[in-house]
Amino acid sequence: MPAYYLEIIVVVLGLTVLMVETFVSLRDKRSLGWLAILGLLVVLVLNFTVVETGGEGGNTPFWSFYVMDIPAQWFKGLALLATIFVILMSVDFSRVLSKGICPEVEDDGVDDCAENQVALSEFFALPIFICAGMMWMASAHHLVSIFVALETVTIGFYVIVAFMRRNVGSLEAGVKYLILGALSTGFLVYGFAWLFGVTGEMELGAIADALNAPDVHRTGALFAFALILIALCFKIGAVPFQIWIPDVYQGAPMPVTAFLSVGSKAAGFVILLRLLEPFMASEMLNANVTSVLVIIAAATILFGNLAALPQTNFKRLLAYSSVSHAGFLLMAVASAPAHPGVVSPVAAVSYYLAAYLMMTMLAFLIMNLIRVQRGDENLEAYKGLAKSSPFLAFAMLVAMASLAGVPLTAGFVGKFWVFVLALQEKHYYLVAFGVIGAAAGFYYYLKIVKSMYWDSPADAGSSAAVPVVVAWPTRIAIVLLVVGVFYFGVNPGALLSLFL
Amino acid sequence: MEEQNLPWIILLLPLLSAVSILLFTRRSGNISALISTGSALITLLLGVVLLRMPDDAVVAAFPWLNLSSNFVVEIGFQIDQLSRGMMFVVTAIGAAVHVFSLAYMKDDEGKARYFAGLSFFMFSMTGIVFANNFVMMFVFWELVGFSSYVLIGHWFEKNSAADAAKKAFLTNRIGDFGFMIGILLVWGLTKSIYFTQIASEVVDEQVLEGVSNGLLMAMVLCVFCGAIGKSAQVPLHVWLPDAMEGPTPVSALIHAATMVAAGVYMLARISFLIPMSAGAGEVIAWIGAITALIAALMALQQDDIKRILAYSTLSQLGYMVMAVGIHAADAAMFHLFTHAFFKALLFLGSGAVIYACHHEQNIWKMGGLAKKMPITFVTFVIGTAALMGLPFVTSGFFSKEAILGAALHGHKALFVIAAFIVLLTAFYMTRLIVVAFLGKDRSDNAAKAKEVPALMWVPLVLLAVPSVVAGYEFFYKGMKLSPMSPAHEGPVNVWLIVISAAMLVFGIGMAFWGYRGESTEPMRLNRIAQVFAHKFYIDEAYAWLIKVFQDGLAAFTNFFDRAVLDGVIARLPAAGAFRLGSVMRRLQSGNLQSYGFLFGLGAVLIIYLVVFK
Amino acid sequence: MEVTLNHFLFVSGLLFAIGLAGVLVRRNVIVIFMCLELMLSAANLSLVAFSRFNLTESGGPDYNAQVFLFFIITVAAAEVAVGLAIIVALYRAKQTTDVTQINSMKN
Repeated sequence: MPAYYLEIIVVVLGLTVLMVETFVSLRDKRSLGWLAILGLLVVLVLNFTVVETGGEGGNTPFWSFYVMDIPAQWFKGLALLATIFVILMSVDFSRVLSKGICPEVEDDGVDDCAENQVALSEFFALPIFICAGMMWMASAHHLVSIFVALETVTIGFYVIVAFMRRNVGSLEAGVKYLILGALSTGFLVYGFAWLFGVTGEMELGAIADALNAPDVHRTGALFAFALILIALCFKIGAVPFQIWIPDVYQGAPMPVTAFLSVGSKAAGFVILLRLLEPFMASEMLNANVTSVLVIIAAATILFGNLAALPQTNFKRLLAYSSVSHAGFLLMAVASAPAHPGVVSPVAAVSYYLAAYLMMTMLAFLIMNLIRVQRGDENLEAYKGLAKSSPFLAFAMLVAMASLAGVPLTAGFVGKFWVFVLALQEKHYYLVAFGVIGAAAGFYYYLKIVKSMYWDSPADAGSSAAVPVVVAWPTRIAIVLLVVGVFYFGVNPGALLSLFL
Repeated sequence: MEEQNLPWIILLLPLLSAVSILLFTRRSGNISALISTGSALITLLLGVVLLRMPDDAVVAAFPWLNLSSNFVVEIGFQIDQLSRGMMFVVTAIGAAVHVFSLAYMKDDEGKARYFAGLSFFMFSMTGIVFANNFVMMFVFWELVGFSSYVLIGHWFEKNSAADAAKKAFLTNRIGDFGFMIGILLVWGLTKSIYFTQIASEVVDEQVLEGVSNGLLMAMVLCVFCGAIGKSAQVPLHVWLPDAMEGPTPVSALIHAATMVAAGVYMLARISFLIPMSAGAGEVIAWIGAITALIAALMALQQDDIKRILAYSTLSQLGYMVMAVGIHAADAAMFHLFTHAFFKALLFLGSGAVIYACHHEQNIWKMGGLAKKMPITFVTFVIGTAALMGLPFVTSGFFSKEAILGAALHGHKALFVIAAFIVLLTAFYMTRLIVVAFLGKDRSDNAAKAKEVPALMWVPLVLLAVPSVVAGYEFFYKGMKLSPMSPAHEGPVNVWLIVISAAMLVFGIGMAFWGYRGESTEPMRLNRIAQVFAHKFYIDEAYAWLIKVFQDGLAAFTNFFDRAVLDGVIARLPAAGAFRLGSVMRRLQSGNLQSYGFLFGLGAVLIIYLVVFK
Repeated sequence: MEVTLNHFLFVSGLLFAIGLAGVLVRRNVIVIFMCLELMLSAANLSLVAFSRFNLTESGGPDYNAQVFLFFIITVAAAEVAVGLAIIVALYRAKQTTDVTQINSMKN
């Protein structure tokens, strides 16, 4: 099966969800969510079984803008997984969602809008389309296809960030994301135009050849790179373009926040890796490129971790944490392609993103439950969680330990390889910043653990003492993620062997 | 079924059981108990099948950490007579304990947790037994420590249980720290972590030639530290008696038969390293002998039935360690093998007594149980006879003779101590039986005691059989475990038997004569007995030492903290970090226009850095 | 005077700068949005210019860039559709399109 069938299947799945909603009258529209999850699971299996990778068989020769290699397959898998978890969260979130969409209930007390679950199916379908965009992005190897895939994702996100149209927070987040996102698109397109102007090519392989040629216009190429880097730093949330992250994360509906922090970031990194490759390969350019990446990585780690210290809103805290992880990822991106005996940066980034997906999704799944059932996103709501819901508290403990980078968790191995790469490159200052950032990380992640296990809720009689209800699909997802965090933390070879 | 997969199944089945209990059947204690017991019985069956596996069988290893092309840490299996025999002990006693627990823990609140813990322990212990390298052994070594912590603290509502669990865990950490340094030293000196590889290098290629004896001794003794912690040797023996706060079946399995023996097992695994360093064996032997002696002395004056057995375990472990020290590791393993059966039997028997007497553990409040619990009594006597080493009819006799014989050949002073311990053992065990089982009942609980249900006495009877026959040649040869027999075979030294038999008779006689018909401890006021009863005041000494040390340290660290850390080092960066974080937070004004402005500024900065720098 | 590539690039750069300045200084969301479109147009202009001056071997312009341009226009249209919808929703909720008024989330 050619690889691009996967994207087609995903798009068809999204359309199917919309069609079913239109033509079939459903008693509970949440079943559409299950349909979507099922479909995506099938594609996930197809991605790792049916599709050919590598060699001429998997790559379609006449479409120069689509490649299917190991990283592409890997990131497609990540996109699919992230989407599955996001839709799972959306099912839990549907009650809050309808509140954000429906007008205030009239005096008669019947809430037609909420009863009919208005717009719920769109909320399931849009992530599927975005997922198709991310999957395409993983394979994009041509400026046009990169641009179109990226915009498919970005425009989809504009809609779902602002999805709760009666909720001021969601709208405000939507507008901020829209304006700044469009701004970054402007830089990206302008950069692409310059890149095309300097090299006369649009296919990344040809661009690499052109950049390696001795007569390439150096300043023009660097200018193009700077513009592209600005746009991609925005997507991954690297300093100084991280400003949108806390506000948008806080305002967006919870599943969308999770999607942004995992899916959007992973997509940004895969594009960054693809576009960096030609610049890194060029001897004339790579010194400049590396030095600026190192500076950005150091600043991002420092900013993300330090700004997270005083946070009391959990969602916002995770937003800063997502910034700091972007910084750690950039540490790997900033290293040269290959060192003998050490994992390649691509493998390190891929591993880190998989670990990041698991631990962040774990945190968001639990946060989502707390948000829906206790109506609170602040750290206050987690006090004494270990008493009322020990299962969730333990899962959150695992997520936090992994985010902080405690050994034997996936997060530790991710950080480990990143630091190894930075040391190989002799980026000692960067490593120092990384250590400071990681140490600060321990403080604020463990703050949450402390409030779950050692603090008691502010008022004993409140909802905080009631156990949180966990539906079985969510429970399975949480268990799988906890197992995954430990399994890949203890046995990193299982993932890395794909790349070695 | 592929024979090569057998060890994998033995290893993973208990893990599967523990995980499935935790995930799915936590609510239902009975189903959990059945899952766990089922897995224990199956592993016993597989453990027996494993005995037939040839030495050269290759089991597929799992490459765990690929640190570089020439350094791979495996989850690998070393299947030889040592591990096969140990595996049989672990699975056999594990199965008996599981069945016994079905009845003993029948009405316990945390039954599911308990059985999950047992299964997890079985998994960890199997890992130690099969490990073919130091790192894997260390990992499972820690896991065993963890499961022991969970099981000791099973009744964590009781403060004493929670404290005992903590004490066991921390004390073990001290030993494990030494063990870890030892492993690093071994790795550094031999460039390998695999037992077979190290053995062949040591013997064939003499890589250790030219290394100073001090370093070699440090290496061996650091590795030995692990055994000191886990096998509760002096001076880290203090956790084991306290660990008796756990449920009695746990004490039988973990703190008598298997986990505490892991230290001895590990020493046997690396016994080829001990002769490398002159003097290391000597140190090990003396530590073992001292442990054996003082533990036996302490056992003389204990009143808690489980504590008597705990000190007896300490004493027997000391025996084994001593044997390893005098280069008779096979004798040590032989004693481990027989001891596991009869000590598990004794512990389960004490569990039956405690159960029958409604959780009364003081032997002075028992009495007259022989008539009320005949099966328990008979099996208990069999276990006791084996522990004392009753000549020619019990397993304990053969293994003890092996150690005594080795001591006689090697080290006369150690032999004297070892022989004296035979007397002490006979004394305290006779005291236990006379006080608890004979005479008349001294409390209501004892008066109302009756024989335990079949689920409990069947394991007792089943364990009584190997307690008698495990020492006979047909038994271990039948299981293809010949190296477990003493190496110092040959003509039986008649003097040896005469001396130990004399000691035995003397000990039994003294205790019988001294305690018959007594209803309180006759030596209560004796000064020396007081010292024994208070365990040489070692716990108190530690408490004092720790207090003095801690107070001093606390005062110092307090000063250091306030003056140096807080004032200079922490204040500045921590406050700086927070301040900086707040400044960064303020950048986040929430105003879209200023965001756009920052974006533009950043863009200019990036373009400058990339293009013009 | 002959119009060279540099002239085109200068104009496109100017367009880009004007767009960026508009985004930074204007307060009305709709105007900001228009300025963003201006930035995309700047990119389009340079693409066409590059296409015109990067001649292929056959002597004709490089049509790759012109195809790209149509993609950009299409995507921009989609972006505008979504963007205006969000802005309308915002106006209905807050009765304002002034960006300085939307700052409920901060720190």
